[in-house]
Amino acid sequence: MLVVENLYAGYGASKVLTGASLEVAQGRIVALIGANGAGKTTTMRAISGMLKPDKGRVLLDGKPVQGQDASRIARLGLAHAPEGRKVFGPLSTEDNLLLGAYSRLPLFFGFRARSIHDLERVYDLFPLLRERRLQAAGTLSGGEQQMLAIGRALMANPKVMLLDEPSMGLAPVIVQEVFNTIRRLKADGITLLLVEQFAKSALEVSDYAYVMERGRIVAEGAPAELLKDKRVLAAYLG
Amino acid sequence: MDFIIIAQMVVSGALMGLVYALIAYGFQLTFSTSKSINFGQGELVMLSAFFSLTLLDWGAPFWLMVPGGLLFGVVLGLAVERAGLRLALEQKSEGWILLTIIIGLLGFSAAENIWGRDDRPFPTPISSDAMQFFGVSITPLEISVAIGVFSLMGLIELFKRKTLLGKAFEAVSADRDAAELMGISATRTVMLSYGLSGLVAAMAGILVSPITTVGPTMASALILKAFSVAVVAGLDSGFGVVVVGIFLGALESLTSFYLGSGWREAPGLILLILALAVRPNGVFGKATIRKV
Repeated sequence: MLVVENLYAGYGASKVLTGASLEVAQGRIVALIGANGAGKTTTMRAISGMLKPDKGRVLLDGKPVQGQDASRIARLGLAHAPEGRKVFGPLSTEDNLLLGAYSRLPLFFGFRARSIHDLERVYDLFPLLRERRLQAAGTLSGGEQQMLAIGRALMANPKVMLLDEPSMGLAPVIVQEVFNTIRRLKADGITLLLVEQFAKSALEVSDYAYVMERGRIVAEGAPAELLKDKRVLAAYLG
Repeated sequence: MDFIIIAQMVVSGALMGLVYALIAYGFQLTFSTSKSINFGQGELVMLSAFFSLTLLDWGAPFWLMVPGGLLFGVVLGLAVERAGLRLALEQKSEGWILLTIIIGLLGFSAAENIWGRDDRPFPTPISSDAMQFFGVSITPLEISVAIGVFSLMGLIELFKRKTLLGKAFEAVSADRDAAELMGISATRTVMLSYGLSGLVAAMAGILVSPITTVGPTMASALILKAFSVAVVAGLDSGFGVVVVGIFLGALESLTSFYLGSGWREAPGLILLILALAVRPNGVFGKATIRKV
């Protein structure tokens, strides 16, 4: 569903990605782990178009999308829940969710009626968001904002979802909740690329994993195999 | 007796202040989506007014001239965005400041060449016979300014709150990158904001022209005051510009009545300096709500 081939990207003179390749098959959860600064978030940004790759290809459902605007790639079916959550602070929780479905909804009238079904699905997944639906997103707690960011990405009914550091800055209990959510999404058959600092938890929920080091993939395999790999264990799983 | 004079000054000043507020609102629209403003906005007011006057000269009925003039303002706003903003914003350059000033100067020369330097009256079917309210006289023309300002601002605010496109507009203002990830094109949203700000400028021109006159320099004082109002109120509060606009308009007419009309421009500048010194985010500016 998502194929990344030999991707190069960076910020000006600093080259972060130096030939990263990975693949996410339909209905699979794939984890991308690695040390800070290895290029995990940059990979995500280069895939979703927040950052234009210098070289390489990104295929979404077989079609090359690299170099296109982020808004165009989003409309083609890729939903990126970015690092730091980036909810629309002054807007209400529900407006944030509606905007998640922006590319599928009419722009002027009737958009609410058309999205009731999807809204209910997200509210069932995160009952807290239903309680907070009219509250400004900027006033939600960190955990609630993370759920909103995931819910907003789900509203797009994406072909592929990118989820970047969902546990960042959250209390351990909430982190558990985030991983429980990912398990439920897995049961629903979501196609997900997950970047996570809690490598062990990420490996537990995923079907396949890549280990990134200095801008390229240095190891890959089923989570069970990676967990046996002494190098990976030493470097990332303590 | 004295009280009635003061009330009269306040009311007429406040009505003029609403025009400042409307133009300031145009600054806010573009600032919110792109952190940029059109420094040639006054020329948009003036050019739209001249164009509307020309429509009348050609024999267009008044009520057809209004949408025609507004549409012209939208086109001008879009042209400014395309010529002055887009490239600069793409390259994250501050070049738009100079470019919008230059486009404004071009507009000014064009107006002088096409329509001449003289101020011309702007005919209107709305009466300027004063009506008395508790001793204060107000003309239907002045009331039309208030109606025009409030209905246009109200419509745009409704659009922003009630339509998905409007919410997308707010999303781009809040977080441009995240909005792009939702499939919202930031470039198109910036275009939309410049179109709207052109619309607002044209409305200001059409509303104020029958009271003042139409001439190449008609908007130069207006735009300075609007800028003061925008900065004093804060560049993100539509409610704030109305309050500050009314306040400044009233203050100006009181100043010119008691100190002489030479002092008319003083309150705006003093307010601007005070605001920059005391509350740089504006009196009504919101501190950004953000949890990390």
